[in-house]
Amino acid sequence: MDRLADVSNLRSSQSQTQISHLALDIGGSLIKLVYFCRYDDSCRDDGDELRSQNDSLCSKSDNSQPVLEGRLHFAKFETSKINDCLDFLHSMKLCLDGSHDGTAPPSNKIFIKATGGGAYKFADLFKEKLGVSLDKEDEMECLVTGANFLLKAVHQEAFTYLDGQKEFVQIDPNDLYPYLLVNIGSGVSMIKVDGDGKFERVSGTSLGGGTFWGLGRLLTKCKNFDELLELSHRGNNRIVDMLVGDIYGGTDYAKIGLSSTTIASSFGKAISDSKELEDYEPEDVSRSLLRMISNNIGQISYLNALRFGLKRIFFAGFFIRGHAYTMDTISVAVNFWSKGEAKAMFLRHEGFLGALGAFMSYEKQCLDGLTVHKMQQKFPISASSAGDNIYCSLNSNSDENGSIECTVYGT
Amino acid sequence: MGNWELSDQVNFRSKQLLQGGKNIVGLMAGLNGDPILGIDDKIEDLHYKNNNNSNEVQGLNLTLARPKSKAILRKGILPFLLPNQSDDISHLALDIGGSLIKLIYFSRHEDQSVEDKRKKTVKERLGISNGNRRSYPVLGGRLHFVKFETSKLNECLDFISSKQLHCGRFDSHHWNSETPANENAVIKATGGGAYKFADLFKERLGVSIEKEDEMDCLVAGANFLLKAIRHEAFTHMEGHKEFVQIDHNDLYPYLLVNIGSGVSIIKVDGDGKFQRVSGTNVGGGTYWGLGRLLTKCNSFDELLELSQRGDNGTIDMLVGDIYGGMDYSKIGLSASTIASSFGKAISDKKELEDYRPEDISLSLLRMISYNIGQISYLNALRFGLKRIFFGGFFIRGHAYTMDTISFAVQFWSQGEAQAMFLRHEGYLGALGAFMSYQKHGLDDLMVHHLVERFPMGAPYTGGRIHGPPLGDLNEKISWMEKFVQKGTEITAPVPMAPPGTTGLGGFEVPSSRGATLRSDASALNVGVLHLVPTLEVFPLLTNPKMYEPNTIDLSDHKELEYWFTILSEHLPDLVDKAVASEGGIDDAKRRGDAFARAFSAHLARLMEEPAAYGNLGSANLSLYKKLTFRCLCTYNLLNRLMEEPAAYGKLGLANLLELREECLREFQFHDAYRSIKQRENEASLAVLPDLLLELDHMDEETRLLTLIEGVLAANIFDWGSRACVDLYHKGTIIEIYRMSRNKMQRPWRANDFDIFKERMLGSEGKKPKPHKRALLFVDNSGADVVLGMLPLARELLRRGTEVVLVANSLPALNDVTAMELPDIVAEAAKHCDILRRAAEAGGLLVDAMTNTLDGLKGNSSSVPLMVVENGCGSPCIDLRQVSSELAAAAKNADLVILEGMG
Repeated sequence: MDRLADVSNLRSSQSQTQISHLALDIGGSLIKLVYFCRYDDSCRDDGDELRSQNDSLCSKSDNSQPVLEGRLHFAKFETSKINDCLDFLHSMKLCLDGSHDGTAPPSNKIFIKATGGGAYKFADLFKEKLGVSLDKEDEMECLVTGANFLLKAVHQEAFTYLDGQKEFVQIDPNDLYPYLLVNIGSGVSMIKVDGDGKFERVSGTSLGGGTFWGLGRLLTKCKNFDELLELSHRGNNRIVDMLVGDIYGGTDYAKIGLSSTTIASSFGKAISDSKELEDYEPEDVSRSLLRMISNNIGQISYLNALRFGLKRIFFAGFFIRGHAYTMDTISVAVNFWSKGEAKAMFLRHEGFLGALGAFMSYEKQCLDGLTVHKMQQKFPISASSAGDNIYCSLNSNSDENGSIECTVYGT
Repeated sequence: MGNWELSDQVNFRSKQLLQGGKNIVGLMAGLNGDPILGIDDKIEDLHYKNNNNSNEVQGLNLTLARPKSKAILRKGILPFLLPNQSDDISHLALDIGGSLIKLIYFSRHEDQSVEDKRKKTVKERLGISNGNRRSYPVLGGRLHFVKFETSKLNECLDFISSKQLHCGRFDSHHWNSETPANENAVIKATGGGAYKFADLFKERLGVSIEKEDEMDCLVAGANFLLKAIRHEAFTHMEGHKEFVQIDHNDLYPYLLVNIGSGVSIIKVDGDGKFQRVSGTNVGGGTYWGLGRLLTKCNSFDELLELSQRGDNGTIDMLVGDIYGGMDYSKIGLSASTIASSFGKAISDKKELEDYRPEDISLSLLRMISYNIGQISYLNALRFGLKRIFFGGFFIRGHAYTMDTISFAVQFWSQGEAQAMFLRHEGYLGALGAFMSYQKHGLDDLMVHHLVERFPMGAPYTGGRIHGPPLGDLNEKISWMEKFVQKGTEITAPVPMAPPGTTGLGGFEVPSSRGATLRSDASALNVGVLHLVPTLEVFPLLTNPKMYEPNTIDLSDHKELEYWFTILSEHLPDLVDKAVASEGGIDDAKRRGDAFARAFSAHLARLMEEPAAYGNLGSANLSLYKKLTFRCLCTYNLLNRLMEEPAAYGKLGLANLLELREECLREFQFHDAYRSIKQRENEASLAVLPDLLLELDHMDEETRLLTLIEGVLAANIFDWGSRACVDLYHKGTIIEIYRMSRNKMQRPWRANDFDIFKERMLGSEGKKPKPHKRALLFVDNSGADVVLGMLPLARELLRRGTEVVLVANSLPALNDVTAMELPDIVAEAAKHCDILRRAAEAGGLLVDAMTNTLDGLKGNSSSVPLMVVENGCGSPCIDLRQVSSELAAAAKNADLVILEGMG
């Protein structure tokens, strides 16, 4: 994913697109974009999917505010390739004012909501390249707002994943809080959420997606995160990890409930062997690494949930990206440490919490509300993999794509 | 462990050797003037092994040590000729982990078979019986700690085989049995390898492994260490090490985190009461394994060493990297907080080869240490535990690792919980397995039964992994010589790195790294544990918990420097004396040099890290005055300052002085002051009759005062004091004594003389109320004991008070020993009936003066004068650890006179 080629292709087909209400989440590894396109303009990048344009008309609400019907788009770029992102944005016409006519806006008046560390780091760059100012939103607030929105407004947003079985969980919006939100980006933040805007960052760990990718790159020469994940599918961690059975000569340590296949020490076998890095298969290394990190996140998350008596743990962030084995490992860890008491849950829009939250913060200034229509539609399992695409259009009327139809109340 | 055992034992061995057809090639001077047979290097080694506190544990670098004994064994020479065999090995226990094998073995102190008349009398009088608390006797001996890499299992097997550790001779009567391995021998072992390698042990050594549960062992080991070893636990924050005294009654519950290849987290509620509550697979094996793959390091220690020069900011993604150098202060994350370990390796164009191994190692170390700290804290929190002890070989005394873990715990607990570490961190499991032998009753040993000593190699080898031990004294000396040449490299300071950063979730920087880190400074020293089951807490101590034998605090750096200088300067003089005491032969000179180097190294290490050997307090003020000598220090090693003050645990000046004595003994200087003490005793005894006559002519009150003044005056005769040495050259002993007695007139600093006088002599209306039993702690040989203490003892005896003279068990400076006292008393008794009758009643005269006194035996009805040893071999006594003799004697004592010995 996140390939420049994809973006370029899209760019040409989107040259006429007018983006209104763009929000950014600029993290350590990835830039996540959420933007809104109105149906009525020349927004036709994947027009063939818009089967019910007639239904989505721009209309006026009772209080004379403009109501915009349209679609929320999600996109991501690697932070190291921020120029691609800037080019992408530049190629679009920014139409941040609901009543804008499509000509270039006066640069000094445009604000884009942004969150993540990059909102600070790259503020000058945005000003210079695009002539827009970044309006910085707090990262944690955005994460929580985004998660709350998704969990309350989007049907079948959350699911469990254990032993290859995915199961959607219907969350009662009135019985959502409190929960633990674990956002696995480059690093990991653990947030206890008690309500809208009521939350506390209770913990975190530096062993996150960045560690998997970074260590994985060093160990396997993989070129990107997805390739590394892909490798792990085919690997066998027993080659690299020291298992209980390796120490106990193949037997379990049953007394304390450790089976012989339990990992006693991640990468522990790399100690005693006379093998060098080159002698290990990248697949095995990747698998071992993935298990180490997923397991650790699952464990620390559970311990924090336990500490505050939270039953629900939602995992999100780009580390997961719908990868079955990752989710499986995290689930197993939570299940193991909680002795089945707690369950790990995942979010379909896992990577976009922060960006969504930033987007929602427009409400305060120029948006009165963002509502999701037709929440009753089914999302097929394939929808989760759609999250991996660089450009995911969510259309309310397309069962295949699993989309979100939105109404934005603009000013 | 008195010296009398030595001669007996060596004679005994000599017989064995003679049977073996060896030639006697030399004579060595014995302790009491008796010649002791010495038979070439090997017997010397026997001799040495039997009587010193050296050990193999601190042992030595594989490349330096020659596995001599092994070679001999393979040539088929009778095993009992092996030098190493002189240690009568009784027990061996192993902890075979995924990466390391930890081995603990026990060598017995030789039987104290010399039951002399003195001891018998003391025993009868004081009602001491053997093993009164247990149904089986507890053996005194030494616990040795050794480790090997699991991948080099053969080294371990060779070691066991060469030392015949597996023979399991619990009974010393069979020590000379020629059966090399008992078919039914069983070794206790724990750890996964106990299962995995059981067949190999059977095949190679012919022994069965009896498997002990790993968690049971860890907990038993930790409980034992925390209860029985002083200053076992310490905190380590920002490079500062602080020892924590754990109250035995308030130890439980605690969280034990054992970091081996993986990590086990155990909640301990009591002896044998525990639960493994958690763990993590990100542990020492992960650090080493990943580290090896990423850096090509060949050993764990090399990898750790690298980390000290690393900067993790080049690899870790910091909060500042994401936020453009700014903090994310709203949630308390500073710019230097690690957001994502190895996160920078993502976006850079750099490949593995482009990163410095140092940076990788540090990044890895921080990632794993923080993670362990965090998970441990979360578990402590879950069970409401305040104390978290970290053990296991991952830590290996590495300052930065400990700092990082401490920081994680402190950060997440917001200061509520504290990470503590154990000096014997790596040996928990092995100790536990060792303790599972039912017979030796280690589990009810307490602090006062254990004396920890640091042998020669300690300052050099610290906590390293090492191979076979040095075979004999000769090797030890050569090693010492070689080492000195290498010395500067080994102690070269590591350049300070800028403060690093810490883990996501918001760790600040553990602010210290650098200053206290050196290439080898990180290793904690694990001394040999001497189990002396006869040691007890002095029963008259009002509050043993508050008692601190060290009255000078050496953690004060100025104080430390002062003593460092004093001891350094005194060293050449001491070496001269020691060499002279052995007749000044070449061999003695060589040993003397080796001693000087070894002790200098101890001192240097201490200066590097003042808590290296424990808490340094100091002995009392009198000693302070005593040690005012000046001479030139010629040993370069001593010029290295401020190395590592905490490597050996908490240590006082008293301990430091004892260390010196131990160090002397290690190089076979059994009594450096022997001839000086003899000369002084003779000179003092010669003038004693005159003094007694003078005293007897005084009236009671004057006499009492004069006696006390005399005690004070005589105490200045101390060879620890340069001033005193000068005095000897200027006048006769009695003149000096009288002169200084005049100087000792009141007022004194503490003065209860009037109360004492009233009780002794009575006053208006009150009758004198003699004490029942007086304990007189004697200090120096010569005038001090002869002209100071003996006349006082005589006065007490005359008034019907039993007198117990308490003296050192082993020589230290010119202090008189319990073994020398009977002769001195006997000599004095020649001129004094009171002393004679009392000494006879106390069983002191039988050996010494049989001829002259035979006829007078019948009419002794005096109160007894007895001699007991204090269990100590240092110039300063530690009343927490005294001999059972003394403890028994103290029970009925109503007067204690302590002179010197502080």
